[in-house]
Amino acid sequence: MSVNAWIIVGDQPTVGNLITVARSLGGPVGAVVAGPRSVAETVAASGVDRVVWCRAPGDVPAEACAPAVADVVAADPPRVVLSGRNPSERVLLGAAAARLGAAVVTGARSVAIDGGDVIVVNAVFGDIADETVAVSGPVALLLDGGPVPPTAGGSAPIEEVSAAPLPLKVIETRMHDFDEVDLNSAHRVIGVGRGLKAKEDLAMMEELAQALEAEVACSRPVAEGLNWMGKDRYIGSSGAHIAPQLYLTVGISGQLQHMVGVTGAETIVAINSDPNAAVFQQTDYGLVGDLYQLVPAIIAALK
Amino acid sequence: MRIVVTYKWTCDPEEATVRADGTVDWSRAKPGISTYDPVAMELARRLADAAGAELIGLTAGGKGVGTPIAAKAALSRGLDRVVIIEDESLREAGRSELAAVLAAAVRRIGDVDLIITGDSSVDVAAKMVPTVLAGELGWPAVAEVTAVTGQAGALRVERAIPGGVQVLEISGPAVLAASADAAVPHVPGMKELLAAGKKPVDRLELTALDVPARSAVMTVTGRARPERKARKGQLIDTSDPATAAAELVTALRAAGAL
Repeated sequence: MSVNAWIIVGDQPTVGNLITVARSLGGPVGAVVAGPRSVAETVAASGVDRVVWCRAPGDVPAEACAPAVADVVAADPPRVVLSGRNPSERVLLGAAAARLGAAVVTGARSVAIDGGDVIVVNAVFGDIADETVAVSGPVALLLDGGPVPPTAGGSAPIEEVSAAPLPLKVIETRMHDFDEVDLNSAHRVIGVGRGLKAKEDLAMMEELAQALEAEVACSRPVAEGLNWMGKDRYIGSSGAHIAPQLYLTVGISGQLQHMVGVTGAETIVAINSDPNAAVFQQTDYGLVGDLYQLVPAIIAALK
Repeated sequence: MRIVVTYKWTCDPEEATVRADGTVDWSRAKPGISTYDPVAMELARRLADAAGAELIGLTAGGKGVGTPIAAKAALSRGLDRVVIIEDESLREAGRSELAAVLAAAVRRIGDVDLIITGDSSVDVAAKMVPTVLAGELGWPAVAEVTAVTGQAGALRVERAIPGGVQVLEISGPAVLAASADAAVPHVPGMKELLAAGKKPVDRLELTALDVPARSAVMTVTGRARPERKARKGQLIDTSDPATAAAELVTALRAAGAL
C-alpha cells in the first residue's frame, strides 16, 4: 500500500491533529515512529493505515533515528509528510524533507490537495500576513501535534525496522519542577511580562489567577532568560498560540512576536505602566498604571 | 578544526506592515543580524576558543546580505572570517532550498566539524533550516541546545526537552541549534568593530555550488492581511485603583469574559 501522507512521531504520541490533517487529504496515512514501542502501539490504534517503528538501542534520543526515518519515508514517497513542533520532531522532519527534496512549510492554517499541487495557506513573517503557496512535489509540514489521538476500531500492524543510529547518546535526563500546563484548554489566561519586578511576585499573579479561574502564562523572556516559568508557558510566534475567552496581560509591552499568539482571544486586557506601550493598541480594555496597585485591587474586586 | 556558525541578515517583521492587497511593506525596516544569531555566535566563539578552532560565519540570501555593513556586523561578533552567498534568487527562497545551499557551502568550505545556528530567524521563525541542513549533510541535529562543552567529535550537549533538560553525548560532526538563552551575547566594542573591517570576507557564487535539485517547486500564489478581531481600545481611568478594578470587572462580566 503506498501512502499519501506520512506522520513522523517522536517520543510522545501527541499527534491527534496530524492524523486529522493527514486524513483530510484522503488516501492512506502512514506513521513512522522513532520513539518507544509503546508510542508506536498508541499510534497504530488511532486509525492510521500503516505504522513503521524504528527500533534503536535504549540510550539514544529519537533524533539518532533521523536517517532511518528518512529511509522509511523515502521508500514510499508521500505527497505530504507531517510532524509536530517538538525539537526532536523538527529534527526528524528536517531529515525526511532533505531526503525527499521536499518544500518545508510551517504555520499552516489549511492544507488541501488540488490535482498535482498541494495548496497550503500559512502564516508568514511573524503571522502578519497569510500566504498561499502551491507546491508541486512533496511537502513537509510542521504543525501543532495536538493531543494523543483517540483509539479507532482495530489496529494497524506494526512493521519494525532496525535503525542504525547516528552517534548520539543520552547521558542524563532531568525533569524540572515547573508544573506542566495545557494553555490551549484554559478559558482565561494571564500573561506576565518583564514588568514584574521579582520572581516572588508571581505569587500575586497566582492569586489573581485563582480569583479569575485562569492559567498563568508569560512572554518569552520570562521563560527564557529569567527562567521564572517553564517554556511551555510562553506565548508568541515561536511559543503557544491560544484563543481563550480572556487574555489579561500584566507588564507586557505588546511586541508583535508576543501578541500574534493571542490574536484569537475573545477579550484582551492590558495592565502596563507605560501609556505608550504597543499593547494598548491591541486590547479591549487598557489600564495604565502600577501593576502592584492594580492587581491587588482587581483581586479584591473579584472577591 | 572548523566551526561554522550560520546567520541571517534580515529585517524584523515588527517594522513591516501588510498593505490591503496583502503585499508586505518592508520600506521602514532596517536589516540587521537576526535577533538570536548573536547567541549562536557567542556560544560558537567560546567553543572555538576552547578547542583552538577556526570560527567561520556563513550566510546565504538575496542582495544586501553581502554589503560591507552586513559583513562587518557579523565579523565584529568574534568570527574569524565570513563566507557569503549573495544571490537575489535566494531572497524568497524556502527553508529547504536555503538549507540545501548552506549544506553545499559547508561541503565547499571543507573540514567542518560543527555547525552552530540560532534558535529561529526573526522574520520566518520556522526553526527548520538547521534540521534540513543536518539532513542534507547526513549529520545529527539537536535543537534547543542550552549548553555545549567538549570538542567537536566528542561533545556534551545540554538541551531543553518538554518538561526538563537532557544531556547528550555526540561523537562526530553535528548541527546544534542554540536556544535563545544559551549564551548572553556581548555588544561588540570599538576595537572589535575596527578589527572586523580587516577580517577576510569570502564570496561563493550560487551557480558554482553543488546544490542538489529539489523535487518540490513552491510557488507563492497569494498573500493577504489576516482578518483580526476588532479591539475596543477602551482605556479605564486608573487614578483610583479600586474604582478602576470595579469598572474592569463589570466590563468583563458584561462581555461574558468572566
